[in-house]
Amino acid sequence: MTTSTFVAGRGIVYLLDARSKLLLVLLLCIEVFLPISQIGLWVLFGGVFLLAWHATGFKQAIQPIRSIAFILVVMTLFSPLTDRDGTGLLFIGERLILTSEAVTNLSVLVARFLSITYLCTLYVWTTPMADVNLAFRWYGLGYHAALVLTLAFRFIPFIADSFRMIQDSHALRTSVEFEGRRSRRQRLADIIPTVTAALVFALKSIPYTAMSLEHRGLGRREKRSSFRQLKARGGLFTQLLVSVMIPTVFWFLFTTL
Amino acid sequence: MFEISGLSFTYRAYGTAAEHAPVLCNLDLTVHEGQSILILGAPDSGKSTLARIMCALVPRFVEGDLEGSITFQGERIDSRGPWELTDRCTLVAQNPQEQLLMTTCADEVAFPLESLGVRRERLVSSVHSALHRWELDRMMEVNPQELSGGERKRLLLAVTDAIGAPVWVMDEPFDDLDEFWRAHLLSEIEKKEGTVIVFASRYLEEFRGSFDAYYLLDQGVLTAGDEEAIVLAFDRVSDVQFSVKSTLEHVPEHDSHTLVAQNLSIVHPRRSVSSTEPFTLRTPDFRIASGEVVALVGPNGSGKSTLSRVLCGLDPSATGSISFDTAPCDRRMLRSRVGYLFQNPDFGIFLPTVREELGWSLRHVPALAEEQREQLIEKTARLFHLSCEDNPTTMSYGARKQLQAAVYYILNRPFYIVDELDSGVTYAAAFEIVSLLRSRGAGIVLITHDSAFARNIAERTYTIDNGVVKERRLNV
Repeated sequence: MTTSTFVAGRGIVYLLDARSKLLLVLLLCIEVFLPISQIGLWVLFGGVFLLAWHATGFKQAIQPIRSIAFILVVMTLFSPLTDRDGTGLLFIGERLILTSEAVTNLSVLVARFLSITYLCTLYVWTTPMADVNLAFRWYGLGYHAALVLTLAFRFIPFIADSFRMIQDSHALRTSVEFEGRRSRRQRLADIIPTVTAALVFALKSIPYTAMSLEHRGLGRREKRSSFRQLKARGGLFTQLLVSVMIPTVFWFLFTTL
Repeated sequence: MFEISGLSFTYRAYGTAAEHAPVLCNLDLTVHEGQSILILGAPDSGKSTLARIMCALVPRFVEGDLEGSITFQGERIDSRGPWELTDRCTLVAQNPQEQLLMTTCADEVAFPLESLGVRRERLVSSVHSALHRWELDRMMEVNPQELSGGERKRLLLAVTDAIGAPVWVMDEPFDDLDEFWRAHLLSEIEKKEGTVIVFASRYLEEFRGSFDAYYLLDQGVLTAGDEEAIVLAFDRVSDVQFSVKSTLEHVPEHDSHTLVAQNLSIVHPRRSVSSTEPFTLRTPDFRIASGEVVALVGPNGSGKSTLSRVLCGLDPSATGSISFDTAPCDRRMLRSRVGYLFQNPDFGIFLPTVREELGWSLRHVPALAEEQREQLIEKTARLFHLSCEDNPTTMSYGARKQLQAAVYYILNRPFYIVDELDSGVTYAAAFEIVSLLRSRGAGIVLITHDSAFARNIAERTYTIDNGVVKERRLNV
């Protein structure tokens, strides 16, 4: 049950302390929902994407977009239909399809969604899970609550990993002298058994995880010690200060108030 | 130390045929302090259940009815939580995946020590030295998910080593380990100043004479005896003795095929650590023909599964080519010609009955009429000792492996790669599965750490040595 979200890479994001990075991510995520200009939101997304690219490489950095591509397409197709204000840009016959305000709102919506996705993804990519746990605890979360959160972080990629293995297994079973391309319907139908098997696999792992946690001493009365210690280069206060300053500067540059 | 008296255990809803049949019946066992005991039992004989009961994990996490009493150091074990035994008794599970919790090897070893509140200086040195002793120090920051099966088992042993509990309960600890690490583990068991209880079904010849007491667990009953008598009795119940190689039936004439991989180079980095030297495997020349049984052996983490994934078209190679009957073969073509039986059968099983599971594989074979399809399913189920209406998720591990093999048998692939087939099933069952897959002319690549099994079943062997796959002729 241990699939980490951590991806080894390079750059300043790996050097930042998990606590200050968490503060920075939280503040920027909140800021995304404040009155920030459209340009500001895209600058934020662009900046985070470039950081991810530099840290982990383009192939890795593009992965979140591929994962959420379906949602982005749905947003692009349907959210403009609900916006009727502004100058009409596209008509089918007499029917108004697209307005200037709908385009602006869609752009803001997509930029917000991408920014939050990349901020959170970059945090878990560049912070070892044990450090994430320690950061949560430093902010006052109890050990058990922090453990539950970090296990949850791991459980999702675990299912994804199992899904890939099961998909491989099914790909070998279904390729019976079948050299042509499968129809979209067939491919969609093939996903259902894979998902079922992945879910069964994941559910079966739950009692074993609980078994192992208790066998390894979770529940004992002693105060837990810690193998890892968080160390902030240049001092924690300085890093926390920088984590507050970045969103503040960003706010003053791009606020629409 | 352990006092077990009249212990019986029955799983609730364990399979369909064996429902309500007890896994353990009226067991009595006394383990003294400092004793090392070996309990032999065929796969699915209840070894893991007994090991978990001894560590207070069953029936706490698995529904079942426990009768009788079990005391550990004078205390009834059912009145204790598993966490109370952390520093006194450590379990090494047969399947390492069940016990791994953390996202780096170092954190995995550290977790129980943190629970015990070990002071940081000692904790850090214990983690480093345990990883060093099991040669995992270079993998400190690697995600256990990225390790090979054998490396994961070593990680569990490093955890056990670091905790330093006076009692070790080890469920098939030699499984997944290569010869070197099996010898290493045996020497650790012999050196151990404490109590060791080992449950095993394989590699008997390697650890004969190393234990103080011997038991046989068969049909839920535990029998004590001297080593010779127990090993002989175990041979009888689990068909451990091999038939000589000549008993692999002669394969009747079928279409003859060859699979050849030349100048393959496989490279993949570990995701969790930056490394200037990613894992690399070179295969200058690998070939197999129809009807052949070829063993692929190598140390833990040498790349056996990596090569297998490329040979069956799941992963690409960096350079080189694979040809089928001299014609170049792309990944899609390979997937329909080379079956890969994963070590874990659960990756491929998902339907509610054996009949549906076998039938699902045939749905892309349009030439088969409904009646023929049913006949083929019934015949295959009979050959693999399966009942068509059984539910795969509640079947035993060995039966699930049989089902996995049956699924591929029905597909009639020209070649099969079989990963650690002998783990979790008897030698006789493994031998039978290989014979059945080969009976229709298929060539078999067998991945195993068991040299005795490989010697008795394979005609040729490929070894992986320092990142290079080479052929080694067997002198039988």
